[in-house]
Amino acid sequence: MVPSATVDRQTFEVIRQERVEELMRVRAAGTKLVGYFCIFAPVELIAAAGAIPVRLARGGQAERQAGEKYLRSDACVFCSACAGRFETDPLYRQMDAVVAVNTCDMMRRLPEVIEHHFGIPAYRLYMPRTSEPLPHRVAEFRRQLELLADQLGALTGKRPEAAGLSEATASYNRLRGLLRQADETRRVDNPLLSESALLDLAATAWLVGPVPAESLIDSVLRIVWARPRPDAKRPRLMLGGSMLAEDDLWLLDLVESKADIVTDILCTGTRWFSDDVGPGEPMAALAQHYFGRACMHRRPNDALYEYARRRAASFRVQGMIYKTLLYCDAWNFEARRLQEALGLPMLHLDTDYAHENREQVRTRVEAFLEMI
Amino acid sequence: MAEFVDPKPARVTFDEWLELFERVPDELIEQYRYFGSSEPWSKYLFPPQTFAIYGARHLRRLKFDNSLAALRMWGFVQNETERLFRARQTGRHVVATMGDLGAVPVIVNSFPGCVAFYPDCIWWTPFTMESKVLFDAAADLGIGDATCFSRAALGAFAKHSYFPDPELVIASTGASCDDYSGVEQLAARFAADVLWVEEPWRNECGAACGRTKSGVEYDPKTRDFLVVEYQRVVERMERLTGHHITGDELQSGVERANQVRKLVRRLRELAYSQPVLGALEMMVIEFGNLHYYSDMDEWTAVLEHIVGTAERRAGAREYVLDERALRLIWVTPPADPLLLTYVEDRGARVVGTEYVINQALEEMDESKPPLDAIAESFLAASLIGTSRQRADAVLDQARARGVEGVIISNILGGSHCAMESRLIADRVKAEVGLPVLEFDVAPPAREIDRQLQTRIDAFLEVLRSRR
Repeated sequence: MVPSATVDRQTFEVIRQERVEELMRVRAAGTKLVGYFCIFAPVELIAAAGAIPVRLARGGQAERQAGEKYLRSDACVFCSACAGRFETDPLYRQMDAVVAVNTCDMMRRLPEVIEHHFGIPAYRLYMPRTSEPLPHRVAEFRRQLELLADQLGALTGKRPEAAGLSEATASYNRLRGLLRQADETRRVDNPLLSESALLDLAATAWLVGPVPAESLIDSVLRIVWARPRPDAKRPRLMLGGSMLAEDDLWLLDLVESKADIVTDILCTGTRWFSDDVGPGEPMAALAQHYFGRACMHRRPNDALYEYARRRAASFRVQGMIYKTLLYCDAWNFEARRLQEALGLPMLHLDTDYAHENREQVRTRVEAFLEMI
Repeated sequence: MAEFVDPKPARVTFDEWLELFERVPDELIEQYRYFGSSEPWSKYLFPPQTFAIYGARHLRRLKFDNSLAALRMWGFVQNETERLFRARQTGRHVVATMGDLGAVPVIVNSFPGCVAFYPDCIWWTPFTMESKVLFDAAADLGIGDATCFSRAALGAFAKHSYFPDPELVIASTGASCDDYSGVEQLAARFAADVLWVEEPWRNECGAACGRTKSGVEYDPKTRDFLVVEYQRVVERMERLTGHHITGDELQSGVERANQVRKLVRRLRELAYSQPVLGALEMMVIEFGNLHYYSDMDEWTAVLEHIVGTAERRAGAREYVLDERALRLIWVTPPADPLLLTYVEDRGARVVGTEYVINQALEEMDESKPPLDAIAESFLAASLIGTSRQRADAVLDQARARGVEGVIISNILGGSHCAMESRLIADRVKAEVGLPVLEFDVAPPAREIDRQLQTRIDAFLEVLRSRR
């Protein structure tokens, strides 16, 4: 038995599909959909402008190949797949605008590709890559948030104001808190909530939005708390690396058939909900929150290392699966250094979305797990 | 005073340079020295053979300008590693500046007894040495093959022998390329002290825009932000040197750097309108604006010498290349300099460049406070804006100089190459209908691979057929 089978994946897929259909209906009725790619995009600002934030975090081999019409083959495969999905994916094509944050270079340049080839307005949010929270840097980021608020206001006719921002912030903080509760269930031996289920849950929760997500997460938590945990002792692993999404769940299934991934440092995983936006004047709080987020692309990236150390220790991790996407420099370059810093056995898999190499990956995963 | 009379302008081979060098009087060799020193070690007027013996084997395959000024330039440039070690030995502060390509050294060099250099420029070293040893060293630290050649800088840090271990690394990052930002992060382990400096995105800003001297629009608030970043550089340099810098010293630093930029502007005007200098020398000259090959005063003298030569040639209409050669713009610097020799051998010449260093070519406004002037000039940077803006810089040159084709030399795995090459090529084709050749520069080798030779040949044939 795979102990992670707390919630049927099909259920998540059905919920997401229904939500996509709903989004198309609300868009037809006049609500704007605003896509975003990474966790540095301030969803609260989008929501407070009366638009619906939709994270565009899908990959896919066919989509990557479609994207190569617009980008060179050595572009980050996630960016290529994003470009491809604007051609092929009905949800992506529904976006009235996208918000792209100046994180890595490729993500910074993706909006131009989207604007140029698909005519969708792309709002670039500049966030300093340097991570020391010096007052002038946070102030500059806040100014950029104000510029984004202007753009969102022009799109929706409703510029985000303090009251709306406070409300949206409280709402998303509740969502983050619930997801953290789900994450916390994995501290125990033989946790029932698998990493793949957590990624699914997080993606679905953010897609449906804070209010409907509450009952969804609550249902999952009830199942987790109610069911007995298996006795088998399995290796406890941490997952790290580039953006992993629905299209990478095969890898998690492969690993979780023999081990428990009990925590992660992914932007589609725990880092999506690890901290709340703090109190205070709403725009200032947003600036502090997003500026303070850890990621491998920040310079220096000590905070991400600290996050990884903390997670590894508190979740009693014995090894790490580090999955990078081809041409994702920020994560690729750091594999060796991170392994040295954590002092854990690490399996580094650098792949695209192709299916052909899966048996090789299986062999490497199995060898790694045997070693642990 | 002994003299050397330049022969009729031509590109000469490595061996021919040796013959020419035999005619250079000893007095001239004695005259050219770095750091204004009279010590015997400070001479640098040597032929390319000297540097080939020490490892720069690729020089044997290039063709060089045959003027004394060009020989002086090559000697000075190739001598830089030795010069940096001498700087350390003679008590100067050696500061590595990384990533911003042009701005921070203006500040560092304003401090007495300080030498700034860019490890970034090591990216040519594997090619000039025809060796992958620096790439192997970078791979050992985690940066493998599918990455920009700038990873050689990480290898050089690890080897501790290509430049002295810097007392301070000033690492600029932000709206810049991922590869080099990654190199900076991994190189930090080798640095005694690192100061991270933010390179902001160049917002498009509508009516409230400021303009750099060359007309690049910027958001004044972004400039103000950058000024605060540069104040941090000043403070850290003051801590390093124990010297409180005055406004006059900074102003003087700006003026000295501007003098270099003005000389290079003059050379671009001359060489890109008439073929008085080849593309290889011009690339070395343009990149001198980054850090003056670690001796600003002597580099200025070298440039003045070259300007004199170029002006004399322009006046006499004596050219180093055929005036009727195909006119090209080169986008992104070729890591393998042999490519420039190759296209010139095939009857083309470079009349415009976009080498991702627009910020270093931009003159600073000396009427403004020094840090404002430095920040403003940086906001002309190639990579901090959109690809469209970069394409527009190419288009401006194409229209002004009757360009016939554009070459974009990419780097496999280079983050900005992967994302923007097609956007630039599309825009150039759409706006001015010019043929564009895009290719990836191959790893270090003794010659250009045959397939690429064929592609370049075919491209030039197309351009010729369009005449």
